[in-house]
Amino acid sequence: MHLVVNGLGHEIRADGLTSLLRVLREELFILSPKAGCEQGGCGACTVLIDGQPRRSCLTPLAALEGAEVTTVEGLSDGVDLAPIQQAFYDTYASQCGFCSPGMMMAATALLAHTPDASRDQISEALEGHICRCTGYVKILDAVESVAKAGAA
Amino acid sequence: MKAVGARLPRYDGIAHVTGRTKYVADQSAQGMLACKGLRSPHHSARIVSIDTSKAEAHPGVFAVATYKDMPKNTVGHLEALGVPADEPYLAEHEVRFKGQLIGGVAAIDEATALEALDLIDVKYEVREPFLDIRKAFDPGQPQMTEKGNVFFYDPYDHRKVTKGDVDAAFEKADVIVKGSYRPSAIEQAPIEPQGCLVVPESDGRLTVYTCTQAMYFTMGVLAEHLQRTPGSIKLVGGTVGGGFGGKVDSATEPLAAILALKARRPVRWIFTREEEMLCGSVRASWHVEMADALTKDGWILGRKVLTLHDAGAYTRFSSYGATKHSFHLAGAYTVPALRTRAYVVWSNHVPTTAMRGFGVTSASFAIELQMTRNADVLGIDPWEFRLKNANRPGDLMPTRKVLEDPSTIDTIRACAEAVGHPLSATYRDMKNDERSGEWLPPHLVDQAAHAKLGDPQEAAR
Repeated sequence: MHLVVNGLGHEIRADGLTSLLRVLREELFILSPKAGCEQGGCGACTVLIDGQPRRSCLTPLAALEGAEVTTVEGLSDGVDLAPIQQAFYDTYASQCGFCSPGMMMAATALLAHTPDASRDQISEALEGHICRCTGYVKILDAVESVAKAGAA
Repeated sequence: MKAVGARLPRYDGIAHVTGRTKYVADQSAQGMLACKGLRSPHHSARIVSIDTSKAEAHPGVFAVATYKDMPKNTVGHLEALGVPADEPYLAEHEVRFKGQLIGGVAAIDEATALEALDLIDVKYEVREPFLDIRKAFDPGQPQMTEKGNVFFYDPYDHRKVTKGDVDAAFEKADVIVKGSYRPSAIEQAPIEPQGCLVVPESDGRLTVYTCTQAMYFTMGVLAEHLQRTPGSIKLVGGTVGGGFGGKVDSATEPLAAILALKARRPVRWIFTREEEMLCGSVRASWHVEMADALTKDGWILGRKVLTLHDAGAYTRFSSYGATKHSFHLAGAYTVPALRTRAYVVWSNHVPTTAMRGFGVTSASFAIELQMTRNADVLGIDPWEFRLKNANRPGDLMPTRKVLEDPSTIDTIRACAEAVGHPLSATYRDMKNDERSGEWLPPHLVDQAAHAKLGDPQEAAR
């Protein structure tokens, strides 16, 4: 099985029913997608599959033939941050940090097709992403700051 | 003082937003095994026998552990405060809650470990569980221990706080208002499930990667269970994916450690979400009965409280939680005569532990509902009723602490302004001053005089 992750091609050994989350974390050691519940309930494992936000814990490898996967590791080189990363950093949207990768991927997908997203649209896009630390306000502020820059 | 009020960058912020923060589940070690825990399917049962032989023989299994493998199985969280240890880390001859840990397996992968758990044969004699703490004092209920269902710690069976002449306050009252309040159990539900990775090093020491909220506490508990010196254990942690009180109980480290020592391989154990929700300890549920003695014009003369704290199956921190609860039962208000009785009740629920405001939120929940009920009965604005009875500088708390800088008045006025609740002029302009004039009614003169006395000997009695 051939899988492209963050622009790099990999030959995956895991069988087709293995979740993308397990493949990323255990075979490729791409650790930003988090196993919060492995039931599709928390959003911490969210990655982009062909640009769409998807729960990697519920996505079997077999469903990914020819797909391109993007994780937080693919947003930037880690030195010059992507705008969404910089915004999360600047606005203290990341507290314990565990939900942040999934939140940032969902926000990235939203801003790719709606660069000037409204606060309501941001709330809707982040529905199903659970954060127990921040109370969400800082997270909405972070995404909104990028959207406002996109609208300008 | 460069940091106060400044917006400083988070030291861990870049790692968080680049996905490079290493949580415990992101740690690994060469030759690492997966751990799974065997848990009770019953609320309450006697364990007749545990047979692990088939699991031990299962291909891919490196170690199986039960209570027999734990050098010291029963370690109390509050032994240093004199609260006796009562909880076996791995169940021995009985299980007292559904999900109680009985043993565990370390295997080549999670699937193999789960297969091996199915091969452990535990024979139970199921007992009727005790689940409703309101029946703690009723005859004929299932008994949690030989001593019954209520405990505090020797020599006391409950925590009491007494201030002033409560009976006189209730005789003088124009109105007595009663209420029962039952805040339910709450799972802390951090998004990161708890876990650890224990690596037995070649020099005999243990390296323990952990998500614990309490590094030194966990080190002490683990060292005690393993009967090792703390110096032979190196904890690596401080990166916690949310805890909120749910990661202080050292739930995973002792089992992973004992399996790692038996297997002589690194062992990682991360809770599943089901384990986190069903077996991890929770904020307790409470039953609070409150009666307030009031005057028609809105003064609180006295209060009586009976609290039952559902500790769950074992003590853990419950005696401490009930004590904090008891110390806060006047709330942010001055109650000149108070009598509280808080009982800690064992039940066949999951053991309870810390969560933000441990013990105090249940008191606040009851107090604030009661305050609104009081105001409704008296036909007084609930904001003004609170302001009238608010703590003031010089007031004496039930714990004999004289208040120096209470903030009740300022807080309530700010809240009223924030939500646009109109206050009458008397309350809108209320100052956070020592009692005088109309704010020093006869029933508060005594406590004001007493507060100024500040006699520590009196406080001790």
